[in-house]
Amino acid sequence: MNQKAYPAPPAIRVVGMTKYFGTVPVLRGISFELERGKVLSIVGASGSGKSTLLRCLNYLEQPTSGEIWIGGQSMSFGANRNGARHGPPPAQIARIRAEIGMVFQQFNLWPHMTVVQNVMEALLRVRKISAHEARARAERYLAKVDMLDAAGRYPAKLSGGQQQRVAIARALAMEPQIMLFDEATSSLDPELTSEVLDVMRGLATDGMTMVVVTHEMGFARDVSDRVMFLHQGVIEEDGTPATVFSDPRSERCRQFLSKYLG
Amino acid sequence: MYGLSIFWDYRVILWHGLLINLLVFLLSSCLGLIVGLLACICRLSSLRPVRTLAACYIEVIRSAPELVLLFWIYSVVPVLLSDLLRTHLSFDPIVSATLALGLVSSGYFAETFRAGIQAVPAGHVEAAQALGMTGAAILRRIVLPQAVRLMLPELMSQNIGLLKTTTLVSVITVPDIMYQINLIVQQEMRPLPLYTGTAVAFFVLILILTSLVGRVGLRGA
Repeated sequence: MNQKAYPAPPAIRVVGMTKYFGTVPVLRGISFELERGKVLSIVGASGSGKSTLLRCLNYLEQPTSGEIWIGGQSMSFGANRNGARHGPPPAQIARIRAEIGMVFQQFNLWPHMTVVQNVMEALLRVRKISAHEARARAERYLAKVDMLDAAGRYPAKLSGGQQQRVAIARALAMEPQIMLFDEATSSLDPELTSEVLDVMRGLATDGMTMVVVTHEMGFARDVSDRVMFLHQGVIEEDGTPATVFSDPRSERCRQFLSKYLG
Repeated sequence: MYGLSIFWDYRVILWHGLLINLLVFLLSSCLGLIVGLLACICRLSSLRPVRTLAACYIEVIRSAPELVLLFWIYSVVPVLLSDLLRTHLSFDPIVSATLALGLVSSGYFAETFRAGIQAVPAGHVEAAQALGMTGAAILRRIVLPQAVRLMLPELMSQNIGLLKTTTLVSVITVPDIMYQINLIVQQEMRPLPLYTGTAVAFFVLILILTSLVGRVGLRGA
């Protein structure tokens, strides 16, 4: 059996990340690594910094300090001549973002385009493939989330669950290395969450590296390889679902979980 | 009999006058849209001095009364430029009218453009960014198509306001419909049918334009 000389870099590596909004600290000293093919769920109360952490990973928020590596590529930032912090150049950010898919709580489908046009858009503008190829790929991923029949419809005509599945297809069509889910089911009526969670479950089974910010404790417990509990910007608990759910060390985590699991 | 037929008697001259109103309207609207777009782009720039300059321009030009600006551009600016360039300059009345009305409109159009662009939900832009799209592509494919649909109704009504404002230009000797009407009134001493006829003509014109706007607005929805 061939042994690689060097191990593959982790999908995500974060060291000492902090984020301040003005003078308010939202993330304090976040450090973790996530291997490829693993699913990490991040749970915590509102305001704990979960979404901010996720948004820092694809640079929708600029961290105040710390280092982030995505698939071994550094999203480094340093100081310019005046000593002010600055991030990586926009072209580099865009390149790294193309390898990270993100699904938002509000779906964020573009209302002036049909479902299939939504999925094709980034393939045409970012991957720069032909229209014919983009359409084929878009239809393939729409079929994967069971939304191919709605290809010619506009987002406004779809239910929340349908829109979110299209949003997942849009992100997947870019064939990213990592998928980020920012409370993907929180805006949905309860009866619609399962159709989205099933898609997410399927992705996990297929070996996608996923970071999922969620309130769905069942998903966190059953599908994740790892669960992180965040409280006021600090990782208070980080382990397997078995450890975190049955025997958390942090009292706040225990209280938080008891509210959800009864 | 109020002698409304007198309006019909002079219809050719009055029609030519109305065409002048339409000409000034089209020219000043184009100028206003172009300058307004530039001002809006500067207003949304990432460079603070550019933003501030644009904001000042928009505030000042929106506060300028059209009538005052008409006189100022027609009478004052040529004198200032003549002194500066040591030559004799005068502005054609239609050029002055276009500049005055165009510049004032640019302020209003700029704010309408800005409101339209900023009304596009931030989440739509973030989704595009998260997919790796760059700023220019996001603006062209995601922001502007939505923004244009949002700003069309307001732009249309601002243009109708501009059309009505063109009735002021006779004060700087532009031979528009009001100029012709005033000459005829002086000769015929019959203000009632003449001014009423003008008002009705404008009312009909604007009614036609408003219903066109309504149809475009519905199609765009």
